Parts: sequence; structure tokens; C-alpha cells
Amino acid sequence: MPDLGTTSGGVAPRHIQRTGLGLQALAGLALVALPVGLLGTLILWPTVRMVTATFLIDGNLSSDRYFAFFNDTYTMANLRYTLEMGLVSALAALALSFGIALYLRFSAGRIATLIHGLSLFPLFVPSIIISYALVRFLGPNGLFQLLLEQVGFTHYRTPYLTPVGPFLAFVWENIPLPVLVLSAGLSQVSDHAVEAARDLGAKAPRILFEILLPQMRRSLLIAFALIFMGIIGAFTVPYMLGPPAPEMMSVFMQRTLGNLHDPEAAQVQAVVLMVISSIVGGFYIATMVKSSEVVR
Amino acid sequence: MKRTPFGGLILLVSMGLAMLGPIVTVILWAFAVKWRYPHLLPTEWGLKYWFAMFGRETVITPILTSLALTSIATTTAALICWPAAYAFARLKFPGRQLLLFSFIAAQAVPKFALFVSIAVIFLKLGLVGNFWGVVVVQMLSAVLFMIWIPTAAFRGIPPALEEAAFDLGASRLRVFVLITLPQAMPALAASYVLAFVSILFEVDSALLIGAPTITTMPLLLMSLSAQIIVQEAAVLCVLIWVPCAVLLLLSRRFMTARGIAQGFGA
Repeated sequence: MPDLGTTSGGVAPRHIQRTGLGLQALAGLALVALPVGLLGTLILWPTVRMVTATFLIDGNLSSDRYFAFFNDTYTMANLRYTLEMGLVSALAALALSFGIALYLRFSAGRIATLIHGLSLFPLFVPSIIISYALVRFLGPNGLFQLLLEQVGFTHYRTPYLTPVGPFLAFVWENIPLPVLVLSAGLSQVSDHAVEAARDLGAKAPRILFEILLPQMRRSLLIAFALIFMGIIGAFTVPYMLGPPAPEMMSVFMQRTLGNLHDPEAAQVQAVVLMVISSIVGGFYIATMVKSSEVVR
Repeated sequence: MKRTPFGGLILLVSMGLAMLGPIVTVILWAFAVKWRYPHLLPTEWGLKYWFAMFGRETVITPILTSLALTSIATTTAALICWPAAYAFARLKFPGRQLLLFSFIAAQAVPKFALFVSIAVIFLKLGLVGNFWGVVVVQMLSAVLFMIWIPTAAFRGIPPALEEAAFDLGASRLRVFVLITLPQAMPALAASYVLAFVSILFEVDSALLIGAPTITTMPLLLMSLSAQIIVQEAAVLCVLIWVPCAVLLLLSRRFMTARGIAQGFGA
């Protein structure tokens, strides 16, 4: 827009418009100042301070704490367990959700509606509730074991306090998000493309791998990133269902800080987790921004 | 791709068992007076443990603490976030996209690790165990819902309506109160419910910043779940979860893929 404000005469409306814009900008900044300030004081500042603190020993720059972290066998076992749990649970949740979304895409009727509803049910159940409920359902002498014994299976071994416990809880919690994302994606794949492929003799697996999966790639990656980040940072589920060792990173951090009273070590653990999460998160944000769905 | 109805039925039954089984177990326990192995169902039913729970101060206090904490945090967050959401949706100001973007970026920060960094600061300031310290930190969980859902809602209102009112000489405030606000109300209410429930059940910050001085309802649930008497935790679960699930169900329309991605994912 050319700046006509310098010429005198007949520019009153523009002056008003310019003042209006200035006011609008001020008002806008004033309105967003508080929540942005909250992010600044409670996310940015503590994070920057923590990262700096982990590199300072008695005022000197040092990476000794990180050497200690990466040389400690137990710590590394915990980190590895956390990442494996994230990877395996996220992939299992995605595979199951993809199956459910496929079923929903190609079927209709009351059964499909019920399955859709059931797949969204975890949205209404907070972590702490499902963790406790799974202890009671899958734990020793729980309802699941009782049901199995009703049909004659008596060799049930509970996953409670083994890595399978948190795995099942993570999969349970992470069904709705990919079902929603993938259903939305699959509904955009035209029936014609699928029918054409079928007419040409393509079998179901081929249609899956050559038509459906390529079109779902982005949705799958975004869903994977979100689920993975959620799992590696989770506390409640592994705290209530997991084995005492190895520990997932959040449980480990809580114990390091709360029971061992070692804030230095806890901060290093937190920074490592943040770095890993931000690599995955950076990828997620890049994908979101590229698709320009969110920031317009 | 074609599946027989039989296949669908198997999927339905196994999903029903997996999705509802755990919650059904808890509901059964809450109303069971006696349920011993190997009985499939409780052998004696009743409200015995409900009455037992309500008579105890160690149970009532955390529930009241949680309700006060959650109400204050959610309402304060709403008061600061809703106007900001309006600004993000309707006003032009420098840095608007970057600032809006910072609310997505905040999602990628693992919460528990973040709370460790805050807890260390609070330890030094003597704020650990302080009610208001917990309120401020729990507001973080609300900000995400309270910025995203309302921003999308304000954007979704056709500007033509507001412009028509402007043309007829209405002031910005009048237009906002009479036209914009009523249309955004359902989304604002939904964001309030989602934020309220997520704060009410939040464990991480309560544990790192509130405990042991401040016991919230989820922390009580955690300690009860380790007790020998199963029913107490089950009663608390049913008591707290059922009203929340109903509220969430009412705001279901706003739990879209994107909303969940933003709110629940990370």
C-alpha cells in the first residue's frame, strides 16, 4: 500500500485508518500479552534456565553431568526402555487404529457406528482413571482373568507390573486420535480409485499398500509423532502399571527429584527427554506448518 | 475389503471388551460389598463403601482442594485466554502468527520434564506445596484448549454479520456482545469443560509441585489404589469420573481430530 500520509490535504480518512490500525495493533498485543507472558514465564524461562544450569558446575561450563548420564548403565536402560515403549506402543496403536479406520471406511450400519463410538471412548477417560481401571481389570484375580477362567483358560499371567501393562494402557489411550485422523484421510480416498484398482484385478493388500497407505502417509506421520511424544513423556501410566525397573523417564525423574533429592540429575534427565521430544516435535510442527492447516 | 457381518461382530465384541471392560470392572467394584476370587461377579452388593468414604476428612479435603484449585485455574485461564483468542482471530498486530505458533510449539515440550524445571525453581523460592503455585502451573494445561478452540471459533464466525452491524453504526463492543459472543459461546463453553476436566485429573504438576502439602483428588486416588480395600479407590473413580464424562460428552462436537491432536496428544 503506497504511503499517502505525507501529502497534506484530503487524507483525513487515511489518517483515521492509520490511527485505527495502530490502535488495533496495540489492542491485539495487549490482549495476547497475558497468555504469552504465561508461556514465557512458565515454559520458556524455566526451560532455558534448566538447560543452562545443567551445563554449569560451580560457575564453570562443564558437560560432566551429561557424561555421567550417558555413562550410567541404569540411566541408559531407562532411556532405552522409554524410547522402545514409545516406538512399540505408538506403532501398535497406529496399526490397530488403521485397521479400525479401514473397517469403518468400507462398512456402514449399526455395527460400524458402535465400533466408531467404542474407538472414541478413551477420549472420555483420563489417564489416572484408565490406569487404575486396568489394574483392576488385568491385575491378578481381575475381571479379565475371571472371564478367561469361565471359558476354561487357567494359565493367565497378569501383565500388571511388567512392561506389557503400560504398553496396553498406552495403546488403549491412543486409539481415538489416529482413528479420527485416519478416518478423515481415508474418506478422501475416492471409491472410484479403489474400484478401478479392484476391476484391474488388484487384491486387498495391493490396494492397501499402493493406494491407501501412500495417501495416508502424512496423517500417519503426524499421528505417530503426537503419540510418540505423549508416551515418552507420560508419568501416570508407567507409575501405576509398570515394573519397578526399568523405569520410564518421567517416573525416573520423579524418583530422582522426590526420593533421591538430586535436582541436578533430575534436570539432566529432563533436558535429555526434552531434546528427544523436540526433535520429534520439530518434525511434527514442520509438517503441520507446511500443510498450513493451523497457522493461517 | 469386503467383510462379512461375522467379522464385524468379532471386532465389535473384542473392542467392547477391551474398551469397556476396565471401566465396567471399576463400576462393579464401587458397588460391591463382597467380591472374592473366583466369583465372576460380586456376591454382595451395596453402598457400604460410599458411606464410609464420605465420612472421612482425608477424602473430603482433597476433593474440595481439587475443586477449588481447578475452578480457580480454569476461570483465570479463561479470563486471560478468551480475549487473546479473539485478538488472534480478529485483530491484526505484529507477531500475530509467531505468537499463535508459540502455542503449538508449547505442545512439543514434554510436560513432566517441564514441571521438573519449574519444581526446581519453586524449591528455591519455597513455593513447593503452595496452593497458588499449583494454580499457576495448572493453568498451563488450560491454555492450550482455551487458545485453540476459541480462536478457531471466532474465525469461523462470518465477518459479514459483524460488518453489517458496524455499518448500521454499532460500536465494536456492542457488536462483540450482541453478535460475536453469542455465536462463539458453545465453543467457549466446550473449551472451559475440556480445560476443567484436564486440570481436575492432572497428576504431574500436583505431584511435583503440590505434594506432599497439597493433596489433590488424583493424588488421593493414587494413594487409595495402593490400599488393600479395593472399593475405596473404585468409589472415588466412579464419583469423579461419571460427571466429567457426561460433561465431556456434551462438548464432544469440539473434540475433533485437530482439537485432540492439540489437547491430548502431547
